[in-house]
Amino acid sequence: MNEKDIIKKLKNKDIRAVARLLTLIENEDKKAEKILKEIWKSTGDSYIIGVTGPPGAGKSTIVDLLSKIALKKGHKIGVLAVDPTSPFSGGAVLGDRLRMTSSQDTGIFIRSVASRGHLGGLAATTRYMINAIEMLGNDLTLVETVGAGQGDVEIVQIADTTLVVEVPGLGDEVQAQKAGILEIGDILVVNKGDRPGSDRLSRELQMMLSLGEEKEWMPPIVTTTATTGEGFEQLWEEIENHKKYLGNDKKNEMRLKRINYELQNQVSQKLFTDKMDQIGKSEIPNIAKDIMKRKIDPLSAVEKIIGNN
Amino acid sequence: MSIKGKIRVLIAKPGLDGHDRGAKVIARALRDSGMEVIYTGLRQSPEDIVEAAIQEDVHFIGLSILSGAHTHIFPKVIELLKERDASDIQIVAGGIIPDDEIPKWNKMGIKAIFGPGSSTKDIVEYIKGSVN
Repeated sequence: MNEKDIIKKLKNKDIRAVARLLTLIENEDKKAEKILKEIWKSTGDSYIIGVTGPPGAGKSTIVDLLSKIALKKGHKIGVLAVDPTSPFSGGAVLGDRLRMTSSQDTGIFIRSVASRGHLGGLAATTRYMINAIEMLGNDLTLVETVGAGQGDVEIVQIADTTLVVEVPGLGDEVQAQKAGILEIGDILVVNKGDRPGSDRLSRELQMMLSLGEEKEWMPPIVTTTATTGEGFEQLWEEIENHKKYLGNDKKNEMRLKRINYELQNQVSQKLFTDKMDQIGKSEIPNIAKDIMKRKIDPLSAVEKIIGNN
Repeated sequence: MSIKGKIRVLIAKPGLDGHDRGAKVIARALRDSGMEVIYTGLRQSPEDIVEAAIQEDVHFIGLSILSGAHTHIFPKVIELLKERDASDIQIVAGGIIPDDEIPKWNKMGIKAIFGPGSSTKDIVEYIKGSVN
């Protein structure tokens, strides 16, 4: 498939074309840029729900069950599930799809994504991948992050509603007071609600929220048990509530802020790669040797390299 | 398909037998050789497998079957790929496939079958050599 084929087929919501475009985007292929420019106007129409939390918390299963509910309510759904790339081999085992068995055979589009060395919980190209999936005409996109650590908060730059999934047994109440991932949740989910300690975790999260300042939207805490499906109707309701709370005005305001931020990032990234291309591959290793021999200090070396180019 | 990026492989375990150790060993070996492996788990139907392979835009489908169900599943997967205009996705298979059947499957489009005792290195090399 060449670019023209892909663009033509995208207009007919062709699954293979979308899948191929996703590959091109992931590979940061020049062809992807051309296609994205062409289709940009037709994207941006899906409501984006992010699901994040530590490894094994049940994110994939939650995405699966939410998709099922959404499907029943008449939504058309796309899923991006990100898993980590090995820092050693560059390979990855992407296992989120395994949990999404009930999503199959239902017209739900699922794509497994490797993070390819990007930190923050997503892949560098996730934003554009969502746009590519939107060509299928879905009104809902679920994005699952890699098993997140406390600082993996990038999802909040992408999702309209962010779910942070926690499970009992991972730490004491001080964990709940720490900055980072818990702060980004529009909805906090206590999954594995059948396990001992889930009530306590729920109370600790409540406590954490009540100590903070009063906000217009106070994140609800929902306890779920993914194995039985308990709590999921309520979770869906809370997602709907948050969506209603945002309305179009707040959602668009938030999206505009992100586009600003994103644009800044992309411009600086472009400037960076252009400048690095100018500098070339040989100058830095040469000057590194001089630093090693103490002929020049690293601070002056930086000035010298940038000044030379 | 250009392979500027990573080689992507879907590992599936169709049929009803639950012995997925082999599939997991292969998934791990491919990962360690730098590929992206989509592991779909047990009891997948040919329809599930082909749909997943298309959505994931993989270069290869790896089928592991130990139950003898391959006589039904192989032709079905090949047929579905054809139907979806996706015959560029190649198939490799592993598990218990009788030796005297192998030429037949090769002819039908399953170019490589790795039985018990195959080295993961050979599988990795085969896949790398077949993606163009």
